[in-house]
Amino acid sequence: MIAQLRSELLKLRTTRTTLGLLLGMLALILFVVLIQGLVTPASQLSATGSPDALDRQRSMFGVGGVGTLFAAIVGIMIATSEFRHGTIRPTLLFTPRRGVVVSAKLGAGLLAGLAFGLLAEGVAFGSGYAALAGRGVDFLLGRHEVLLLAFGTAGTAALWAGIGVGIGAVVRSQVGAIVGLIAWLAVAEGLLLGLVPRVGRFTPGAAGQALAGGTNSRLLSPSTGGLLLVAYMVLLGLAGAVALTRRDID
Amino acid sequence: MEDRVPAISTEGLSKRFGSLKAVDDLSIRLEPGTITGFLGPNGAGKTTTLRMLLGLARPTSGEALVFGRRYADLEQPARRIGAVLEATDFHPGRSARDHLRSLTLAAELPERRIDEVLGLVELRDVARRRVKTYSLGMRQRLGLASALLGEPELLILDEPANGLDPEGVRWLRDFLRAFAAGGKTVFVSSHVLAEVAQTVDRVVIINHGRLVAESPLSELTARVSGAVRVRTPQAGELQARLAAAGIAVEPAGADELLVLGAPSERVGEIAAAGAIVLHELVPQQSSLEDVFLELTAEGAE
Repeated sequence: MIAQLRSELLKLRTTRTTLGLLLGMLALILFVVLIQGLVTPASQLSATGSPDALDRQRSMFGVGGVGTLFAAIVGIMIATSEFRHGTIRPTLLFTPRRGVVVSAKLGAGLLAGLAFGLLAEGVAFGSGYAALAGRGVDFLLGRHEVLLLAFGTAGTAALWAGIGVGIGAVVRSQVGAIVGLIAWLAVAEGLLLGLVPRVGRFTPGAAGQALAGGTNSRLLSPSTGGLLLVAYMVLLGLAGAVALTRRDID
Repeated sequence: MEDRVPAISTEGLSKRFGSLKAVDDLSIRLEPGTITGFLGPNGAGKTTTLRMLLGLARPTSGEALVFGRRYADLEQPARRIGAVLEATDFHPGRSARDHLRSLTLAAELPERRIDEVLGLVELRDVARRRVKTYSLGMRQRLGLASALLGEPELLILDEPANGLDPEGVRWLRDFLRAFAAGGKTVFVSSHVLAEVAQTVDRVVIINHGRLVAESPLSELTARVSGAVRVRTPQAGELQARLAAAGIAVEPAGADELLVLGAPSERVGEIAAAGAIVLHELVPQQSSLEDVFLELTAEGAE
C-alpha cells in the first residue's frame, strides 16, 4: 500500500500536467484576487467606508476556493490518465490487487488536493493582504475566519481530489469525467441550491463550500459539511474500487 | 515432467463477449524453460488469453494460471513474471527513467534495476527524454525493460515484433534467445509464424479461440511436405514405376506428376532405372508458413 502510494506520488510529480494545473490555478487566483483587491474602491473594502466591507474581503480571500475545482481535476487525472495512456496495464501487472491501487490513488489524491488547497489559499491571502496593505486598508477577517478559510479550503480540496479519483475510476474517460464534474458543479448544484435548498445544501459541492467557510446562509455548518464531504469521498472511492475490480482491462 | 508446476496452464479457459466466443475451451500447458510461440491470425483470441493469464480480464469460465496460481494471487508477480501487452503503455510526457521508477517503487524492487534494464535494452542514453520523443522500436524496448525490472523467470509478450524494422526483429530474437538460455520461459504471441520460427522451440496455435495445435516446432516442420514435381513425356510409365516402389504419386497435368513422400534423388533414380526421359524435376518445398496457414484454415471449420 505504501509502496503503491509512493509510486502514485511519483507519477503525479513526473508529468507536466500536475505542475501546469497548479500554476494555472495560482495564476488565476492571483489575477482575480488582485483585480478585486486593487480595482474595488478602497472605501468599499474598509470598515469605515462600507457596511459590506467584511463580506467583500471575505469573498476576495475566498477566491482560493477555486483550488477545490483544480484539486478535483487532479484527482480525476490520477485515475483517468492511466486509462488514457494505457499505463493501467503495467500498473496492474505490478500491483494486481486493484483495491490497493485505488486506495493508493485516493491517498495520492488527498495529499495532492491538500497541497493544492493550501497553496491556493496561501496565494489568495498573500496577494490579497498585500493589495489591502498597499492601499492602507485594514484587514478585517478574524482569526477564526482565516483559519476556517485556509484549512477548510485545504480540506475541501483534499476531499474533492479524492472524489475526483473515484469519479475517474468509474468514468475512465478523462474528458467525460471533467466535463461531467464541471456541469454538475456549475449547473446542477447551482440550480439545486437555488431552487431546492433543502436538497441542494446536501450536494457535495455545497458541502465543500460549507467546510471552506462559505457565507451562503443556506449552507450546512462547516463541520457537518465536512463530515458529509468525507462520506461522499468514501462512497465514490468505494465505487471506484468496485468499478476497477469488476471490470476487465482492455 | 508431470510433477513440475507448469509456467503457464489453462484449463477449459473461455471468454465470451456477448455472443462472440473470443476464447473457447482452451487448455494449454507450458513447461518452464521453453520458448513457446503463441500463434494465430489476428482476432484469434491470443491477446484475450494473455489478458486472462495476467489477471487483467476475468475468464467467463475455466482457469488461467501462472506457476499454478492465479496471477492476482501471486505474492510478488513482478519478480516472477514480466509481461508486455501493448507497446505504447506509457505516459507520453513522462521520461523512460521515471516510468521505470514508478514501477520499481510499486513492486519494491531495487533501484539499481532501472539502470540495468535500461542498459539491457540499450536505452540508457535517452532515458531522461520524454517517451513522446521515442520511436516505436524504442517504445517496444522500453516495454521490455519494464517487464524485466523484477528479473522474472517468465516473459509474456504480445506481438512484440509488431512495427519493428528487420534490425529490431533480429535484436528481439537474439534477446529472447539469450533470455531463455538461462532456463527461463518465454511465451510470445504473433500472427506471423516467420517472425518467431527462428526463436521458439514450441508452438501453441489457436484460431477462433480454439486450440489448433500444441507441439514442438519440429513437429510442425515435419509437416512441411517435400513434394516433387516431374515433367516427362512418359508420365504414365513413371507413375506406374513409382507406385510399384510404394511412393505416393498423383497426376498434375498432361505430362506432369506430383510425387509425394520421396526426395527428388529417388525419383530421378527410378526414372533412370526405367530409362524414362525427364524434362523437369523440381522439388516443391512448402513453407512453414503454408503449414501454419493450412492449420489455421482447418481450425476455421
